[in-house]
Amino acid sequence: MFILKNAWISIKRNKGRNILIGIIILIIACACTITLAIKNTAVDLIDSYKSAYDKEVTITFDRANMMKNFDPSQAEGRENAKEKFNNIASYTIDDVNSFADSEYIESYYYTYSVGLNGNNIEKAQIETNNNMPNGFGHGKENNMTSTDFTLTGYSSLDAMSEFINGTYTMSEIIDNAWDKAFDGNYVFINEELADYNNLSLNDKIKLESDDGKTYEFTIIGIFKENEDGSLEQPMSMFSNSANTLVTNASAVLNITTNNKDINPTIYPTFIIDSYDNVQKLQDEFYEKGLDENFILQTNEELALSGVSSIQNINSFATTFFFLTLIIGGVVLLVINMINIRERKYEIGVLRTIGISKFKLTMQFVSELVIVSVVALILGAGIGAVSSKGVSNSLLESEINSSNERSEEIGKNFGGANMNGGIPDRGNKGDVRGKGMPVVQAYDSINAVVDIKVLLELLGIGITLVLISSVASMVSIQRFSPLTILKERS
Amino acid sequence: MANKKKNNYVSKDKLGNNLISKKQIVKNNEAKEIKDNKKENKEIREKNTSLKNIILSIKNASYRYSDALKDDYALRNVSFDFESGKMYAIRGRSGTGKTTLLSLISGLERCTEGEIIFDGKSLKDMNLDKYRNSDIGIVFQSYNLLPFMTASENIILSMDVNGLKIKNKRDKAIELMKKVGLKEAYANRKVLRLSGGEQQRVAIARSLSYNPKMIIADEPTGNLDKQTEMEILEIFKKLAHEENKCVIIVTHSQNVCGSVDVIYDLKKVKEEGKK
Repeated sequence: MFILKNAWISIKRNKGRNILIGIIILIIACACTITLAIKNTAVDLIDSYKSAYDKEVTITFDRANMMKNFDPSQAEGRENAKEKFNNIASYTIDDVNSFADSEYIESYYYTYSVGLNGNNIEKAQIETNNNMPNGFGHGKENNMTSTDFTLTGYSSLDAMSEFINGTYTMSEIIDNAWDKAFDGNYVFINEELADYNNLSLNDKIKLESDDGKTYEFTIIGIFKENEDGSLEQPMSMFSNSANTLVTNASAVLNITTNNKDINPTIYPTFIIDSYDNVQKLQDEFYEKGLDENFILQTNEELALSGVSSIQNINSFATTFFFLTLIIGGVVLLVINMINIRERKYEIGVLRTIGISKFKLTMQFVSELVIVSVVALILGAGIGAVSSKGVSNSLLESEINSSNERSEEIGKNFGGANMNGGIPDRGNKGDVRGKGMPVVQAYDSINAVVDIKVLLELLGIGITLVLISSVASMVSIQRFSPLTILKERS
Repeated sequence: MANKKKNNYVSKDKLGNNLISKKQIVKNNEAKEIKDNKKENKEIREKNTSLKNIILSIKNASYRYSDALKDDYALRNVSFDFESGKMYAIRGRSGTGKTTLLSLISGLERCTEGEIIFDGKSLKDMNLDKYRNSDIGIVFQSYNLLPFMTASENIILSMDVNGLKIKNKRDKAIELMKKVGLKEAYANRKVLRLSGGEQQRVAIARSLSYNPKMIIADEPTGNLDKQTEMEILEIFKKLAHEENKCVIIVTHSQNVCGSVDVIYDLKKVKEEGKK
């Protein structure tokens, strides 16, 4: 008890120094409260943002690996690459079903695409370059560019509706379109194609394969490209999806079953439990026969693009947090070293009258604890009040900075409205991806000081007290009372 | 022979008192004479017992600083005994190791060789912090009080360190202050506002706060004038002779040496080596 009493007497005696220590701890506490509040809120926000979207994995061609040993200047090299490319084992629907049988996969769907020519419709095309690639389909796209249309069949109604509603806007649709979509040869077509061929709902269109077989489809919905989509093919009047017809996978499968010459493209999407398991899943796919020229790609980057500003703020907060702690800790340590030197005589007297080193250390630590507790409470209070304002001010400045960068990129590449790699632009921003709904970006962060922040702050307080007590602990162990008193005499 | 020696010691020490007592006996009645004689005999018995009551024994103590050469001793082969109820002076020229001996006795340093026995126990086996805050009181030439505390707070702090459990420590502190000749009014005065003599009295009161068996003082009157020196020495005398404490004073002062019961001389280590 007398340790606390002595500590209190010492605090009152050394008001100036203790106020200085208190102010430093208060600043540290205030800064830490704000940064911790931002950090925790940002992490929660990012987690909830991530969890709001499916964790998707797709199979994509590993171009980097393929091109590694390719020398385009050599004719022989080109031939080798071509041969190698042709020898890549593609995967079938059965393979996809086999891949999907994994503990890491929650669900899956796939698109099954074939290239067909129009019979009673014409391809929407007014452009200088006839060989522009079709926007749809992945993997081996041979045969796809030589046909007028891409017929893409979805294996899942949810995936189909999510894709159409997420990526496009449905301009016209028949009443029971979604019931029919999986019931036969029904298609959704692009508004541009409908206008170009003067088509409307319930019209029947005919497509034919290279061998002359015709397939009839009924239009049950017309979708239109969202505004930004038109930028995907700057040399064309039409959007990428203008000549894409969306149907169900069974309809496409019927075509390919009856015609072995058609080379379909399968584009599977696996919904996984965690992005952390992607590597394991890829290894599992290879074991199940996936060619090693394919790799797995996730939508993590896309899913997080809506919170990129918040992630930046989080990184800033983390860096600032550690800097504050390090600088604050060093300053406190130095002040305490000076403090100990000033109080050497006191230590000598107290040791001489028989106070143990442990109790003396406890007295010095207690002094620091008392000052720290007061400063931490005040700092936490100030931090709590200001954390929301500070965090939103930081976020606003980050968003402005992102917008400026975005505009700069847009100007440099000839499109002022380009989203580029910075999709979140306040409330106006949105991110779109294949099969993903519109992603709303955050323009405010509600950084609150909760019990977690307070506990973390307590931990920081204890750490700071221990760090700054090191000087007194070491000195008390080292000081000989007699030497101190002799020096004094 | 041994009895004679003891009686000589007693008669020398208490001669005046005995004579006065006998005069009073003559003047007063016979019964009173018998009673006083009995009391006198009791005191003699106690004194005789005290002769064997060695509270501190230094046995071949040597001390060498940790950074000193192998044979460079600050203190070498010192052996002294100290009894309760007596006042001792340790005298010696500068460099003879007086302060070193004091630091060994007070448990601020440990002997490099030899040992110090306090009340039957070797200091090597004792908790020296506990020893300093319970068994001995230390008084320094420069008082070594905490300047930011009042006189009473300095004394109470010492009680606290000792772990003394009494209801009113302040009253006890004031009582101790009065005992060493300080007014109660000084209790709340910061020690820096007291004179040197008053500060030394506070230091003595502090050293008495937990009633130690031994008081060790390092030049306690070195900074004081003659008059104050005599007053301080009188306090030490009372502590030794009336409260049966062992008082050890390290000093240069002839006045101090003249006031003590026993004087131990310390010689320089090199001189000892020549012997």
